[in-house]
Amino acid sequence: MGLAGSGIPGVSWAVHGNTLHIRNYQDVSSLDSVSSLSAAEGIISAAISQNLLQFKSNGTWDTRFDAAEAFEQIDDTHYRFRLKPGQMFSNGYGEMTADDVKFSFERMVDPAMKAINRPDMGPLSHVEVHDRYSGTFVLHTPYAAFIPVAVAGPTGEILSREAVTAVGGRFTTDPPCSSGPYLFKSWQVQRKTVLVRNPQWNGRKPDFEEIHVYAMPDPKTAEMAFEAGELDCAWISVETVAPFKNDMPDNSSIHVLPSGRNYWLGMNQENPALADIRIRRAIQYAIDVEAVVEAAWFGLAKVSTGPIPEGMTGHRDSAMIPPRGNPEKAKQLLAEAGVKLPLRLRLDVNSDSLELTAVQVMQWSLRKVGIEVEIHTQDNSTFLTIGREDLGDRWRDVQLFMQSFTGLADPYYSLTWFTSAQLGLWNWERFSNEEFDRLSDQALATTDEAERSPMYHRMQDLMEESGCYRFITNGVMPQIYRNTIKPAFRADGYAMLREMRTADSRS
Amino acid sequence: MLRFIVRRGLLSLLILLLAVSLMFGMIHMVPGDPATVMLGPKATPEIKAEFSRRMGLDQPLPVQLGRFYAGLVRGDLGVDPFTDREVTVIVWEQLPYTLVLVLAAIGGASLLGIPLGCFSAIRRNSLLDRLTAVMSVAFIAIPSFVVALYLLLWLAVKWRWFPAMGAGEAGDYVDQAYHLVLPAIALGLGWVGYIARLVRASMLEVMEENHIRTVRAFGLPERTVIVHYALRIALLPTVTILGLGIGTMLSGALFAEIVFSRPGIGKLLYEAVLTRNYPIVMGSVLVTTGFFVLSTLASDIINALLDPRLRERQGTGK
Repeated sequence: MGLAGSGIPGVSWAVHGNTLHIRNYQDVSSLDSVSSLSAAEGIISAAISQNLLQFKSNGTWDTRFDAAEAFEQIDDTHYRFRLKPGQMFSNGYGEMTADDVKFSFERMVDPAMKAINRPDMGPLSHVEVHDRYSGTFVLHTPYAAFIPVAVAGPTGEILSREAVTAVGGRFTTDPPCSSGPYLFKSWQVQRKTVLVRNPQWNGRKPDFEEIHVYAMPDPKTAEMAFEAGELDCAWISVETVAPFKNDMPDNSSIHVLPSGRNYWLGMNQENPALADIRIRRAIQYAIDVEAVVEAAWFGLAKVSTGPIPEGMTGHRDSAMIPPRGNPEKAKQLLAEAGVKLPLRLRLDVNSDSLELTAVQVMQWSLRKVGIEVEIHTQDNSTFLTIGREDLGDRWRDVQLFMQSFTGLADPYYSLTWFTSAQLGLWNWERFSNEEFDRLSDQALATTDEAERSPMYHRMQDLMEESGCYRFITNGVMPQIYRNTIKPAFRADGYAMLREMRTADSRS
Repeated sequence: MLRFIVRRGLLSLLILLLAVSLMFGMIHMVPGDPATVMLGPKATPEIKAEFSRRMGLDQPLPVQLGRFYAGLVRGDLGVDPFTDREVTVIVWEQLPYTLVLVLAAIGGASLLGIPLGCFSAIRRNSLLDRLTAVMSVAFIAIPSFVVALYLLLWLAVKWRWFPAMGAGEAGDYVDQAYHLVLPAIALGLGWVGYIARLVRASMLEVMEENHIRTVRAFGLPERTVIVHYALRIALLPTVTILGLGIGTMLSGALFAEIVFSRPGIGKLLYEAVLTRNYPIVMGSVLVTTGFFVLSTLASDIINALLDPRLRERQGTGK
């Protein structure tokens, strides 16, 4: 029985029983696939909506059927689906049909909708409806990321045409209906989103009567709330893992999952101080990435071999530069370039404590070869614009910077930001390589994984050979949870609410 | 008195307009592109441009400011570009949480600080006076976020006497009150010391004045002398400080709201600044500045009510 509101001193305020209390790393702003911006929203959408396919919660990006009972690729540009009959939208919006699938996908590519997530749909042309439950996706050109990004990702949620039309064609934090194992009940700004069990759900009955998803941007607050017994599951910071493991809160466990976040040191090759490739190569060799990862990620993360994380097509087994670097080679390259030491450079980083620790270790590594780095910390919103060409000339002064971003379930998303088309947008290194651009297009249009993987290997080789990048890590996502639950996480560490179970659950 | 209120009211309005205009200029001077931050990497340049147009960011600053004030006159503070909800609605949803917190903190601090200061003055150099002095300085010196963290660690995490996060369930006032205890103590503790010191100093000064000696000479009971004659005058500077204190606490509430994961205007403003959500920033600044100005105005009026000399001076322009 829950004790909330009992007001009895000495009694834990935790409300467990049949309600799951879980942290979300930020508040939601839109649960509509055309305008949802982050995984924080995807976590909730995946519990209240259905896609044709869903990711499995086994640490891979493999998919399984969700709303679909059949899904097959007919050729490079056609995918056929068949819905399970009898899947109902809540609030009286009736049964899910192929027309709802058509509506949901075509609104994403409709120019009038100005969908932020339009790029995720790739070259989708339209959806042909054959009967009440089946249809075919038609693409203009082959798109290898169609299943992992467009169909199984947050953009592939199936909405009710009637319901969305009734609210004017789009919504934000008040979805007009749900169709997943849980129903959307309420959203309170900066507080929580409440989901309740869907009585019409005809799949396996969800274990929790309610799920309360708390918007808690500060991990420290979440850690305290977990210790106080008010959360059942929370994403915690890396530096807390060891203290928690030494003095674990009652009846709890920690699971350190790989994250899909790519961290690297970038070098602007158009800045005069870094125009000589030998200087950039020297910086690559000077940095001891193992030391960086040990210090900033407390040894929990692995050194990355490139932007594509382990377990994904195109992941390289090793990078070209050894993880510990080679300071002697770095000194030799600097000497060959005729650099007068100490070489003074600027390194921009956002004010995140983890990244700040990482660049301080890099600073130490670089000092050993005669490179003095001045660290410039900026808040994230300022930092995100330093390489933007359309916002002035600040990009010209950018030299070194530590950058990171979270990928999706397909390797194209990990590398698309480094093409020539992204110069001055997100490609702050000003890396431009014809072969890379060609391979980027080619790999995205190649659906055979065996053919695709070497292309991505080569692309990461080209990035490294340019001297513009020193790959650091793909990070980790530590999750702490009560042993009263069986948590479920995606391959990139995010919670899968619909798969979460109670510990005494039979499956 | 009416003339006094009108003059002060107009001055307050001018201060509010200046403060909001200044803030408007300052937030636009900070680098950072709202479209990039809000829309993420996938948004195309066309969508970003459209977004900037929708937010009015393609217009010169004076035009944006003019539009803001024109909207303000109509009661329209714009729309949150994230959620498409009206800023007015969002701000009014959050404001009660912060107001309740601030009032609980300042109320609690006054309830403790005024009697402490008063007793310290009456029993000057006693053990109580010395203890109050030491504790007051300690309370003032410890930053509220440190107090918040230790309260959280001991009373919520270790002993679990109070909840660690949130503001309680809507409609359950007992639950909401319990959620308010720790944040209010964290926010108000420093003010206990401050008010106690201030009341003590004022009381000591007032107790030496001629009219108190005269009242004592009439043989009135000491309790009446203190409560009805000395304390009433001694509270004047405290009322002024409390007015300012409410304004300061509105911004100080941010720490308590973050540490205890409470909703509120401080947290709303903080997150809006980080994401360059200008409409929310302006709406929050307007409301917090408005309350600051209002609380200062209220303390001026209360002072004038308590001390007729003040309103006479203001009324005659002296």
